[in-house]
Amino acid sequence: MILVLIVLCLLFSMLTLKEQSPDSVSAADQIIKQIEESYTHDKIIITVGAFNKDSEPFAISLREKLKHKAYKNVTSITGIPRDLRLTLDSLKQANTKPAVIATSGDVVKWRIIELLPQFYPEFADCEIIAPETYLWPDFLKQSNLIAIVDRIVVIAVIAIGMTMVIITGGIDLSVGSLIAVSAVVGTVIMKALGGLDGSAWAVLVGFLAGILACGIIGGLGGFLVAKFKVPPFITTLGIMLMGRGLAFMITGGFSIYQVPKSLTWLGQGTTLSIPNTVILLLLLYLIAHIFMIHTRTGRHIYAVGGNEEAARLSGVHVKNILIFVYIISGIAAGIGGSIQASQLNTGTPNMGLMYELYVIAAVVVGGTSLSGGVGKILGTLIGVFVISVIQNGMNLLGMESYTQQVVLGLVILLAVLLDKVRGGNFLSIIISRGNKSI
Amino acid sequence: MRKKNYININIITISIWVLFVLSACNSKSEFKGKIGMTCMDLTNPFFKLIGNIMQAEAAKFGYEVIALSGNLDPARQNNQLSDFVAQGYDAIFLNPVDSKSAGEGVKKAYAAGIPVFTFDVQVTDKEASKLIFSHIGSDNYQGGRLAGESMIQITGDKGKIAILSFPEVTSCILRVKGFRDVLRENNSRLQIVTELSGKGNRNDGYSVTTDILQAHSDIIGIFAINDPSALGAYAAVQKAGKLDQITIVGFDASPAGKQAVFEKKIYDSPQQFPRKMAIGTVRAFIDYLEGKDLLKNNFIPCAHYYYQDSVDDSSRVKEQW
Repeated sequence: MILVLIVLCLLFSMLTLKEQSPDSVSAADQIIKQIEESYTHDKIIITVGAFNKDSEPFAISLREKLKHKAYKNVTSITGIPRDLRLTLDSLKQANTKPAVIATSGDVVKWRIIELLPQFYPEFADCEIIAPETYLWPDFLKQSNLIAIVDRIVVIAVIAIGMTMVIITGGIDLSVGSLIAVSAVVGTVIMKALGGLDGSAWAVLVGFLAGILACGIIGGLGGFLVAKFKVPPFITTLGIMLMGRGLAFMITGGFSIYQVPKSLTWLGQGTTLSIPNTVILLLLLYLIAHIFMIHTRTGRHIYAVGGNEEAARLSGVHVKNILIFVYIISGIAAGIGGSIQASQLNTGTPNMGLMYELYVIAAVVVGGTSLSGGVGKILGTLIGVFVISVIQNGMNLLGMESYTQQVVLGLVILLAVLLDKVRGGNFLSIIISRGNKSI
Repeated sequence: MRKKNYININIITISIWVLFVLSACNSKSEFKGKIGMTCMDLTNPFFKLIGNIMQAEAAKFGYEVIALSGNLDPARQNNQLSDFVAQGYDAIFLNPVDSKSAGEGVKKAYAAGIPVFTFDVQVTDKEASKLIFSHIGSDNYQGGRLAGESMIQITGDKGKIAILSFPEVTSCILRVKGFRDVLRENNSRLQIVTELSGKGNRNDGYSVTTDILQAHSDIIGIFAINDPSALGAYAAVQKAGKLDQITIVGFDASPAGKQAVFEKKIYDSPQQFPRKMAIGTVRAFIDYLEGKDLLKNNFIPCAHYYYQDSVDDSSRVKEQW
């Protein structure tokens, strides 16, 4: 499955190859050299940067460096095209004109720069200098890679619980609704505990309450499955409907947005410049991986999925294990809901719509068998990546929404098929469908 | 082992071919940049049309519009906004799924220096709404007033009426508000006996109207906040055999709505102008690039759409908005 992921990354890297403009120190030096070659120190120079964290400092540092080189009439403008227009208007009124407009890469595209001779005929001989561009894929930009990880966090966390449930041979359709339950319960409590001015404690209590609620609901489902042998599909389908309805009932159908500022810490904050969500994700996966491989309960989960009867006969508490995995799945969905609420800074009852299907797809793409007994936590992580890389790549390419769904469905099928083919003789797998040691 | 290698090599060869073919297609001629557009639901013809017109209009200035559907999921839309930001697109055209949740995405875009323009639905998050460069949308409140005027006129201002609302969507709340205000200001003798959600679609419009007719068999008018729910209401009224008794007023003058007005199924459908909305949004972005002063809020008034309007309307025949 890693192969699929690599091929996908390669594919999107090539497809999103684009001219990028460097707004770095070396680019600024290059511009200064150009200016020094052709202009005397008394000329009026304007440095322009757009209102973002690369472009703005670029324009300002360019100004400082030029001043350092004894250029006297340097001004810098940072902001939106309108700010540049106002400056140019005042220059025009004062009957002076700039000799050079030095800009960052994104400013060159402003029409006021592009069509400068048209808007200001008197400035027609003003030279516009911008850094030279280079080729680099959009897909591999640092900001995009962070965006990919950021978007998978919710699905990835829930997929941990789902992997365990599916390994026992079950399924949990309720996780999408539980996202909404957790987010809504959490934010309603935060609202009650002080609203916009609430403390970090209010946030923590809200989160824990939301997660606890989901854990209890999950456990209830697990109880029905274990004790009364209600098929997991039906049990969790019922919980899915109830959870969604409950989320709408609690909020009356509206979004809860009167939440403390500190709510965004988890979903949007960073620690040592790594997003908190990523740290949480890695931590949870590490724990889950160790748990599944090295603890007795973890091995029992495999045993239950492999052969329930055999597991029971060899002393595994099958019922407890089943209840346990559904509780974990509920808790994972609860954590997912908390993260989502934090990312969006609201609790909305229609959060997590259809997420159960994405999560199940990710788990299966990651190599877990729907018939139980087989699967790896780390495989699931790769499965989640495969799905989110596809979604991200298609968005970058601007593929139409309708096409996106078709492609996503196809890729999921192909990915699973490919894994089967690679794992052994394709025909023998089709013939012996019961074979679980793929 | 041999077979495995063979398959692996095949996969890699095919992938490389696909890469080359696709990247050849991708290397287009010179263009200015990309604009990210995300709306509530692209399966709705209203937004599909807006997307298409934005694409055509922006292309005139060298921009490509990437139109995505939020599929009524605020988190999905937020991810799309993150993708736009990660890409460093030149602008974002936003039609928020949820007026409040969209605020986070807007803040992110602003922090990255990407101007956001909203259309149809406004962002109501307090901080984020200040960061929106310009909004363009129908004057839904005024459109609701038009619907109220028509209802008073056709019913002779006496009797019981029902409203099919859609309280999840701000624009639809405004329509109902405009409708009620006109009735109140004119001291109307129309009595609104019930207001239920038709969820803006045909199925729910049908089933809710069926229920309304059970409880209030003597109503003489129904105002539905859009054409699909109005047509659902029509089907229910028809089934109950009350077409002579009940008049329906819709909203949108969508292609299906126009046809329904022409067939006299709906009396009036105050018209929205998605074309103006789409072109206005692109125009706002271009004005921004030219450094012009932008109008913060731009509301396009709605217009009545009666039978007389539909008779010679070529857009109705061509099934256009």
